[in-house]
Amino acid sequence: MTEVRLNRLTKIYAGGKPAVDSISLTIPTGQFVSLLGPSGCGKTTTLKMLAGFEEVTRGEIAFDGQDMVRVPAEDRDIGMVFQNYALFPHMTVFQNLAFGLEMRRIGKAEIARRVGETLEMVQLSHLADRYPAQLSGGQQQRVAIGRALVIEPRILLLDEPLANLDAKLREEMRVFIRDLQKRVGITTIYVTHDQAEAMTMSDLVVVMFDGRIAQAGAPAEIYERPKSATVAGFVGQVNLIEAALDPASPGAAKTPFGPVPVQVPPVGDSVTLALRPEAIDIAPAGAGPGTAATVESLQYSGAIVDYVLRFADGSRASVKTIPRHRFETGQEVSLSVDPARFWQLGREY
Amino acid sequence: MIMGRTVLNLYCLLVYAFLLAPIFVVVGASFNAGEFLTFPPQGLSFRWYVTFFHNEVFLRAIVTSLWIASVATVFSVVIGTMAAIYYVHFAGRRKEMIRVAALSPLLLPEILTAIALLFFLYDIGIGTKTMFGLLVGHVLLTLPFVFMNVSASLEGYDTDWSMAARSLGARPFTRFRRIVLPLIKPGLIGGALFSFVISFDVFTISLLLKSIGTATLPIQLFDYLKTNYTPEAAAVSTLSIVATVSVVVIVEKVVGLKVHKF
Amino acid sequence: MRQRYAFLLLLPAGILLTVFLAIPYVSVFLSAFRVPGEGTPYGDGYTLGNFARIFTDWFYIGQALNTMLIGAVTTLATLIIGLPVAFQLARPELRLRGLFYGIVLSPLLVGIVIRSYGWTILLGNNGVINRTLRGWGWIDGPMPLMYNTLGIVIALTHVFLPFMILPIMSAVQGIDPSVASAARSLGARRLSVIRRILLPLAMPGIQSGCILVFVLALSSYVTPALIGGLRVKTTAVTVVDAMIDTFQWPFGAALALTLSVLGGASVLLFARATRMKWK
Ligand SMILES: Nc1ncnc2c1ncn2[C@@H]1O[C@H](COP(=O)(O)OP(=O)(O)OP(=O)(O)O)[C@@H](O)[C@H]1O
Ligand SMILES: [Mg+2]
Repeated sequence: MTEVRLNRLTKIYAGGKPAVDSISLTIPTGQFVSLLGPSGCGKTTTLKMLAGFEEVTRGEIAFDGQDMVRVPAEDRDIGMVFQNYALFPHMTVFQNLAFGLEMRRIGKAEIARRVGETLEMVQLSHLADRYPAQLSGGQQQRVAIGRALVIEPRILLLDEPLANLDAKLREEMRVFIRDLQKRVGITTIYVTHDQAEAMTMSDLVVVMFDGRIAQAGAPAEIYERPKSATVAGFVGQVNLIEAALDPASPGAAKTPFGPVPVQVPPVGDSVTLALRPEAIDIAPAGAGPGTAATVESLQYSGAIVDYVLRFADGSRASVKTIPRHRFETGQEVSLSVDPARFWQLGREY
Repeated sequence: MIMGRTVLNLYCLLVYAFLLAPIFVVVGASFNAGEFLTFPPQGLSFRWYVTFFHNEVFLRAIVTSLWIASVATVFSVVIGTMAAIYYVHFAGRRKEMIRVAALSPLLLPEILTAIALLFFLYDIGIGTKTMFGLLVGHVLLTLPFVFMNVSASLEGYDTDWSMAARSLGARPFTRFRRIVLPLIKPGLIGGALFSFVISFDVFTISLLLKSIGTATLPIQLFDYLKTNYTPEAAAVSTLSIVATVSVVVIVEKVVGLKVHKF
Repeated sequence: MRQRYAFLLLLPAGILLTVFLAIPYVSVFLSAFRVPGEGTPYGDGYTLGNFARIFTDWFYIGQALNTMLIGAVTTLATLIIGLPVAFQLARPELRLRGLFYGIVLSPLLVGIVIRSYGWTILLGNNGVINRTLRGWGWIDGPMPLMYNTLGIVIALTHVFLPFMILPIMSAVQGIDPSVASAARSLGARRLSVIRRILLPLAMPGIQSGCILVFVLALSSYVTPALIGGLRVKTTAVTVVDAMIDTFQWPFGAALALTLSVLGGASVLLFARATRMKWK
């Protein structure tokens, strides 16, 4: 198994600004890492450099300490799953899987055995003789994964593999891919712009903006302690509160929910606090201590309700809750928050 | 609306009849038993086919035509395919320019091209003493057809296939043989067939660039028709039709114009 | 393949087109100004005489204009005949589509000499058409169908019809079918859909078909030579005569060049007139 290390990896396409800008990252053996970021942030470019399809402008790629930059793609021993699968249309499922083994000059019997095993693993044994065009999207997806895994590559790269599937299948495939990866234990890099996908599947989430790594960390860390408002906003909804420092009580800032303890910055007289919408408890007005607010609008989506609330001072906050109590537009409510749920954002990167 | 469809279909049937009429007439006239070329034939016989098989001039012309068409096709396919690959995958902003250049032999008047080549060959001292000029002319005229067919099928080629093959360990030559070639086969064969058929039919260039003894079939036939009016020409034509159609059909059957249904 | 070696792919075609097309075209331009030779293709020195001979003789001017007319009428005829067929063939659900497509391609398989020859059998004074009409008592003497411009146009229309149908068909096939449905949902009737939506979208194909047929018709030799005989000659026929029979190479080149420039100018004018803003 393989540890992947990127050091100041940079890609500049002819005459442009860097598509990937000096990213450094170490991926421990067997981990599942997601590259998460908006369209055009350089995820695919990073993946292509890892796979050897795109020349590296600057920086290093090492597998287990072994320099890879000059190794051609066909010698890198990488399994790659493409967004549109890129199955060979003129080959059957079996032949698609056998191709990589044939390139490694493996004997016929051994190929049959390994392809058979892999087909079983991706649950496609019954479709071995079909052509890709005769398969459903999810089945094609599994062929693509099988084709990448059957060669027992050092690392597995997936570029938005679920983007073309419908919502239900996408969820099934998430679980499928993650289970498979755990079973095989292969170091995996998974590109997506879907934060839920990244959160549910990964050991490590790498959030990218504009060719740079904005933050890398475990899913919970990224969600609960994002370093910047941009990261916070990308991995979920967030309330940002520009809170003035309270001269009366040092070490605290004033918020609509009362004073919150903060680390006092060396300069300035305010801090930015973030608060996830589900951290706010909502109750009918007068049901206890809390901050008064009015329901400005609400959006009901089955399992949860999203409220937009307005405070007396005109500022707003989003609140996400299960629809146990339903509040109507215009209704007075009372809000409360555990001060520990606030976190303080550093300056933007 | 149904009316419209019917009228359209009838109209098209008339056009198809128009397209087939002269061919039909030539084939029919070739079985003429009489001395003169008439249609409908005066009695049926194969006598003009027998005459043909004793006419060395036509036989040699057919061999010349087949030979030139084959050689020109081989060259056109190789050169045209390479250019088409560049055009589709590497041309970038120069795409339109390359397309116009590759299609230019088709867009320029053949007669001027023929004269230009004649002068040029004469100037550089090759002249029409060898078949070289004739072959060059045929390759020029068939190149656009290979280019069009192959680049059309390459446009349908997803470069991710090459990348997938690469990631699975396939080297350039293997990628070309195992992935690219099978997937662009329809365009390649279509281009080759087109090239062969067009070369078999090239007239003006063959007329001006032919050397002694390298008259192609169309030239020989034309020469003959200027002075003779017997059904032998029809017999030759019919055989030539049979020959080209068989080449197309055999290639279709042996190599397969379509790859697997996908 | 590495980008930087990719140009090697273009090399053979580039050399072929440069050495055997571009350079000869430059040299043919010069050759049209050469002095006619005695016993050799051309003599020493340059002259404007070849062009002077063309432009001072109504015979050549008239012939060139007639050739252009033949080209234009042939183009129009192939367009009128071919357009509906192209639309019909573009429908994927058409029954026997393969057969009809084969019929459209068949003239290409048969060769231009043979096709023109077929038309001499059909159009001659004693040909199939005249004899049939006489048999039905519709005409007394033979209708003049051969050895005139009409005959040439009929045969050329047949010969080049595939070159009109194929580009239009592929343009029509490229039209997203939902565009037509959208137009119908907006209340357009069948004819308006064709006129307002399909024809404009098929325009690139129509344009290339027209240019192709016009250029091919202008420079065609076999058909006018066989159908026109000695009576009606097009410029291309006169050019070949000059080159082969009377061995006047520079004059032939000058004549071919004149025809090509006239043809090229018409094509440019046509392309300008039918320019599509949305392309
Ligand atoms: N071949 C190329 N030439 C020039 N610029 C490119 C090329 N490929 C990508 N880029 C640019 O590099 C940047 C990063 O592109 P990349 O494809 O890596 O984005 P991405 O994160 O994968 O986006 P998406 O989610 O849309 O797939 C973009 O600004 C893109 O325009
Ligand atoms: Mg991408």
